[in-house]
Amino acid sequence: MEAYITASACISHYPTADENYFFEDAGRSLPSRFLSVTPADYKKYIPANALRRTSAILKMGISAGLMALERAGVKVPDAIVTGTAMGCFEDTDKFLRNIIEQEEKMLNPTPFIQSTHNTVAGQLALLTGCKGYNFTYVHQNLSFETALLDALTLLEENEATQVLVGAADELNPSLESLFDHAGHVRESMKAGKPVWEGDRGYVMGQGALGFLVSKKQTAESQIKVKAIKLVQKIEAGSEIQKMMDEFLTENQLSLNEIDVIVAGNSGDEKYDLRLNKFLNECRQPIAYFKNLCGEFFTAGGFGFWLGSEILRRQTIPTAAQKETTGRLTARNCIVINHYQDQHYSFILMSSD
Amino acid sequence: MGIVSSLGIGVAENLDRLRNCKTGISPITFLPTTHKNEFVAGELKLPTSELEALCGKPGLNRTVLLSILAAREALKQAGTSAGARTGLISSTTVGGMTNSEMHYKAFMEGKKYPDFIEEHFSGKGTDHLADDLQISDFVTTLSTACSSAANAVMLGARLIKNGTLDRCVVGGSDALSVFTFNGFNTLMILDNAWCRPFDATRKGLNLGEGAAYLVLESEALHKKNGNRSLATLAGYSNANDAFHQTASSAEGMGAQLAMRKALQVAGLQTTQIDYINAHGTGTPNNDSSEAMAMQGVFGADVPLFSSTKAYTGHTLAAAASIEAVFSILSLNYDLMFPSLNHSSPMEDVVIKPVTTLTEKKLTHVMSNSFGFGGNFSSLIFSRN
Repeated sequence: MEAYITASACISHYPTADENYFFEDAGRSLPSRFLSVTPADYKKYIPANALRRTSAILKMGISAGLMALERAGVKVPDAIVTGTAMGCFEDTDKFLRNIIEQEEKMLNPTPFIQSTHNTVAGQLALLTGCKGYNFTYVHQNLSFETALLDALTLLEENEATQVLVGAADELNPSLESLFDHAGHVRESMKAGKPVWEGDRGYVMGQGALGFLVSKKQTAESQIKVKAIKLVQKIEAGSEIQKMMDEFLTENQLSLNEIDVIVAGNSGDEKYDLRLNKFLNECRQPIAYFKNLCGEFFTAGGFGFWLGSEILRRQTIPTAAQKETTGRLTARNCIVINHYQDQHYSFILMSSD
Repeated sequence: MGIVSSLGIGVAENLDRLRNCKTGISPITFLPTTHKNEFVAGELKLPTSELEALCGKPGLNRTVLLSILAAREALKQAGTSAGARTGLISSTTVGGMTNSEMHYKAFMEGKKYPDFIEEHFSGKGTDHLADDLQISDFVTTLSTACSSAANAVMLGARLIKNGTLDRCVVGGSDALSVFTFNGFNTLMILDNAWCRPFDATRKGLNLGEGAAYLVLESEALHKKNGNRSLATLAGYSNANDAFHQTASSAEGMGAQLAMRKALQVAGLQTTQIDYINAHGTGTPNNDSSEAMAMQGVFGADVPLFSSTKAYTGHTLAAAASIEAVFSILSLNYDLMFPSLNHSSPMEDVVIKPVTTLTEKKLTHVMSNSFGFGGNFSSLIFSRN
């Protein structure tokens, strides 16, 4: 199962919605405990009368999806598959607060309607007029990766020739306090430390991604997704090296043929141990993508986007690296992601 | 297959109530809503503490507990299959909401509260279920509103067909929550009385809760392990109405697309469908759009159909797997379960549902499920 990335769009902390931007101004220090998003030109994608009522995840998720289609020159994809772990939490929070504050009386239905997990995918269908297959995965930090796997499966089944894959997770004050309370977020004093300098907790981020994937190569699409491996359960003593070897063998490659590793260290040292043990033995350049986007359940989508951009541009942003490497001659890239040492994913991509 | 609904725990209890035309919808006992006395619901009459004891799993939320009970029954019936690559595809719309909403007030008011955020997310519940069932080869969670479990069935079938898996546990689970109850109430699509699917006097739906799971196996594995098979999943499809976030288009375009595609996947003609277990929520919009869609696909020969939501209420993410279990029971016992509470036919369409328990030789049964976001799914189960 493989496919070309025909076009992509990324909305994240840095102004990545601008195609010309590639972290030139980004520093290695993380700017805060919770990362904001640099908005895209949302009014271009969302009707003005709806914009005011639209939550962060819908703005980002819909815009990233439509932006990817626009860049691909495609009006209606054959299918839409999205991933989100936390769903539309801003609207969920709003409706819950209304229920409690108004004692279940005179509630406004809009936040409830928009709180459904498949709202981004449903709105993308509505705005593009896509009547095809429409799935939303909500499986923790494998939500995006499973959506991508499903898209490749649809292409393989000849059920679609081009599939829009999306991912989005938002931050808002309620989520920030809930995660903080649960003890997952780094202390203010330590927030700036790059993810490769481990500490307790992680910096939390957010973002949205859109990709159009297709079997057909176009002039612009040089990057191919070649394989995905999802690991639901990590047993005591499981080694990344072993999982990686299995993955590479399945794809007739050896580790020295991999030119770049895009790694999902969150900076939470206790949980990065297993991954670091593997990375310490690697001689390839490593791009630490969460140093740019922070930790969130669909950050794997950002890692995937970054991997494809590194291959396309043949350079790794300084802010994602311990030591700066110059211009690359990279063909194969692997993105490894995890959340708190659970649910690992491996994605292999190549430039053709 | 395994099931928990307001009709009872387990396939046997559910079948008994279906056969005796006894609804599971009743006045609300446990759901802590201030509207408790104004509405009825398909509520399982067991408190969460008793479900914890039944599962032997203290500390899990109601949605997860329902899923564990149903999925364990399904796997027990299916039997073991050593060495088979096994997946779990679950689905839910509320996730850990029943737990989160208990503590949200304290959180809002800055008082002491136990951490609930991680258990809130839908995928976390599937992780608990996967651990309980000891499944790890492929595990995921879908959430496409009220068609969720149909899509879980469909994905499982596709992953078996393309050789990724040999066997897959598929279905959905949703507990009643104050959040969804108020959501549907605010949309003004709840009926205070017992719902009346496909009836001219229908006013809205009753919410319900439950879980159901099927164990799908590849033909090759099935031949090898010699386990008993209940039915064949012959067709499946998902399509989008691309019309409105919550309402269906008048002619049910998405529903028509899903039904046509499912027939095509199954390689069946419209005339070969013997019975349809319809989505039939009992809302004016759904039932009229769905009836139009059935007329659109089947023309003058719409098969016999009914909605079992007057038995269970609308169980949201679980609805499609609960109705998949009922469809398989229909095939196994040659029975069509009636649309209860039906008195007068709808005026805008010519078709009428089955309103009494009816025996008929059934070979192919279609089951439809539709959800918010214009999400439409259709499954076809066939006699072996």
